[in-house]
Amino acid sequence: MRVAATRRNVLALVVILSAVCALVGLAALTIGGVHLTLGEVWAVLRGTSSNPEATAIVSEIRWPRVALAALVGASLAVAGTVLQALLRNPLADPYVLGVSSGAALGDILALWVGGRVAAAAPGLAFAGALLTTAWVYALGRRGGRLKSFTLLLAGVVTASFLSAIILFVLTLLSARDVRGAAFWLMGDLSAATGVELRLLAPAVIASIAVLYWFSKDLNVMLLGEDEAAHLGVNVARVETVVFLLSSLLTGLAVSASGAIGYLGLLVPHLGRMLVGSDHRTLLPTAALGGAIVLVLSDTLARTVVAPSELPVGAVTAVAGAPVFIYLLRRTAG
Amino acid sequence: MLLIFLGAAALARPAALQARVVVDETGRRVNVPDHPQRLVSLAPSITETLYALGLGDRLVGDTDYCDYPPQAKLKPHVGNVLNPSLEKIVALKPDLVLGIAEANRRQTADQLQRLGIPLYGLTDHTLDDTLRSIADLGRALDCNVAATALEQNLRRRVAEVERRVAGEARPKVLFVVWHQPLTTAGPHTFISDVIHRAGGVSISDDLKSEWPGLTLEAALDRDPDVILFPSHVELSPPLDEIKRLPGWREFRAVKQNRLYVVSESIIHPSPRLIDALEQVAAILHPEAFAMAASDEWRVASDEQQAPGFSSRREGFACSSLATRHLSLTATLTGLPPQQIEAAQ
Repeated sequence: MRVAATRRNVLALVVILSAVCALVGLAALTIGGVHLTLGEVWAVLRGTSSNPEATAIVSEIRWPRVALAALVGASLAVAGTVLQALLRNPLADPYVLGVSSGAALGDILALWVGGRVAAAAPGLAFAGALLTTAWVYALGRRGGRLKSFTLLLAGVVTASFLSAIILFVLTLLSARDVRGAAFWLMGDLSAATGVELRLLAPAVIASIAVLYWFSKDLNVMLLGEDEAAHLGVNVARVETVVFLLSSLLTGLAVSASGAIGYLGLLVPHLGRMLVGSDHRTLLPTAALGGAIVLVLSDTLARTVVAPSELPVGAVTAVAGAPVFIYLLRRTAG
Repeated sequence: MLLIFLGAAALARPAALQARVVVDETGRRVNVPDHPQRLVSLAPSITETLYALGLGDRLVGDTDYCDYPPQAKLKPHVGNVLNPSLEKIVALKPDLVLGIAEANRRQTADQLQRLGIPLYGLTDHTLDDTLRSIADLGRALDCNVAATALEQNLRRRVAEVERRVAGEARPKVLFVVWHQPLTTAGPHTFISDVIHRAGGVSISDDLKSEWPGLTLEAALDRDPDVILFPSHVELSPPLDEIKRLPGWREFRAVKQNRLYVVSESIIHPSPRLIDALEQVAAILHPEAFAMAASDEWRVASDEQQAPGFSSRREGFACSSLATRHLSLTATLTGLPPQQIEAAQ
C-alpha cells in the first residue's frame, strides 16, 4: 500500500496513529500488578481521583513508564528508518549494527567511573553510538561504495566485540551496580522517572522534527549517493545530520532503557507495508508506530509472566528476529 | 472551610506527623515513623528477622521468596527481590519498607524515595553485620527489648561455638554457591565469615568479588579439606552425582567423603545464620561438639527445630545467586544468537 504524501494525508495519518497510541497508552495505564478499573485510571488522569494510592500508582509509576516506552520506541524506530535510507539497506538497525552496544558501553563506562561522570551517562552513550556508527560505516565502505553484507557483518562483529568489552567492564563494577546494569542491559523500562522524561522528550521530539525536515532528501538518497548529488542533494550534509541524530536518538534510548533490539527494524518495515517508502509519510508513521509497538511490548512484558516481569528486549527480539531473517532471505535472494 | 480542614486531616497519616530522621546502614537519611505499623520487607532475611523479633503481625507484605517462617508465605507478595512491583508496594500503604543493599537494586531505593515511601536499608557483609542489623532494626522499629534479647542470645551462641573451636586446626573449606560454573563466596560475605567463625578457612578468601568464579583447576590446586553445599535442590545436584563428575572426583575431600550439605540458612543473613554457623562448626570440628552433650548447643537455639540438615529449597533464589544468574543471562543477551545466525 502506498499513501500519497499530501499534507492532508500526512495530517490524517498522524491523527489516526496518535489516537491509536493514546488508546494503547490508556490500556497500558490500566493494566498492572494492582487491579485498577478504567474508571479509576480515568479519574486520576482528569485529576478528580480521591484515592491517593491509585493516584500514586497511575501518575508516579505507570505513566512515566508508558511515556518512556513511547519515547524510546519512537527514537529507535526513527533511528532505524533513517539509517536504512542512508545506508540503502533494509536490514540496518541500531541494534544489529552495534550502535546500541556502543551506546551501552559508553553508558556503562560512565557508571564505572562514577561520580559526576555517571550523571553525564547519556552524553557518553551518545558518543559511543556516534563512534560506532562512524566505525561501522567506514568498515562497510569498499572503494567508495557501501557493501550491504560487509556493512552488516561489520555491525554484527562490532556488536559482539563491544559486548565482550561490556562484560569486562561489568566484572569491574561493584556487585550492587552489576545487578542494576545486568537488568538494564536486557532492556528495562522500569526505572523511568519524571526527571528523565523532561530531559528526553524535547530532545527526541526535536531530533525527529529535524529528520522529518530532511525527508525529501532521504527519498532521493534511496537512489544512491551519486544520483542524489546529481539531483542537487547535499549528500555530506544529509549524512552528517542522519549520523548525528540517529546516534543521539539511539544513545538517549539506550541510556534510558538499555539495549532494546530489533525495534528499528520491525517498525520501519511495518511502516513501509502500511504507507509505502516515502519518508514524508514513513517517518511520522515510524515514530508513532515505534511508540505503539514498544508500549504494547512493554505491557506484554509486564503481564505474560505476571507477577514477575520479562525484559522488554526479549519481547521485541521474539517479534523482530524473525522479521530480520525474512528480510535477509528476501534481500539475499 | 471546615470541610477542607477535615479533608486535610484525614489525608495526613498520624505516623508521618511523628517521623524522625535516622541514617540507615547504607548511609541514606530516612524518615522513619516513631511507631511503624505497616512494614514491607524486600528480602527473606529481613522477613525472618521481623518474625524473630515478634513483629510478624506488623508485616503487611514480603517477597515471593520469603518462605520462612511458613506464615511469611501467606503475606501479600510484592514480587521478587530484584524487581519488586512498586505498585503493589504502594497499594499496601506501608509506613516503612525494609531492604538490603546486597540483594535489592539501587533503582528500587531511588524509586521508593521518589514516591515518598521511607526505605530503611541494611547491609550485610559479616556475621557481626547481621547481629548489628538486628539491633538496628530494633531501634528503627521501636522494639529494642526484643532485639536486644535476641541479639544477646545469638551472641552467646556465637561465643559458645568460638570457644569450642578455639585452638583447633583450621580445615580448608570450599563453599560451593553454584557448581557449574564453579562459583564460590568471596571474602566480604557473611558466608566466608561463618566459615571463619566455625573454625575453618575459606579457600577463596583471596578473591576480590563477592561471588567469584573459580576454575576447577584452581579449586583442586587449593586442595580443600571439606566441601560445603547449601541445601538447594536446583543448584546443587545430589552429592553422589557430584562425586562422580570429571574433575570433581579428583578432590581429596571427595575421596575422603568430606562433602556436606548445610542448611540453606547459611545464605540468609538472618538470625538463622547462627544455626548455620553451629552446623558448619559441627561439620568442621565434630570432635569439639561430640565430647559435650551433643544436645546442649542445639537447645540454645530459639528455633523449634534443630538446625537440621533438612533440604528446603526455595529460599536460595532470592540471594545473590539470582544476581549471578542475571549477569550470566546478560552475557547471553550481549550478542543474540539471531545475529550470528543471520550473518551466516
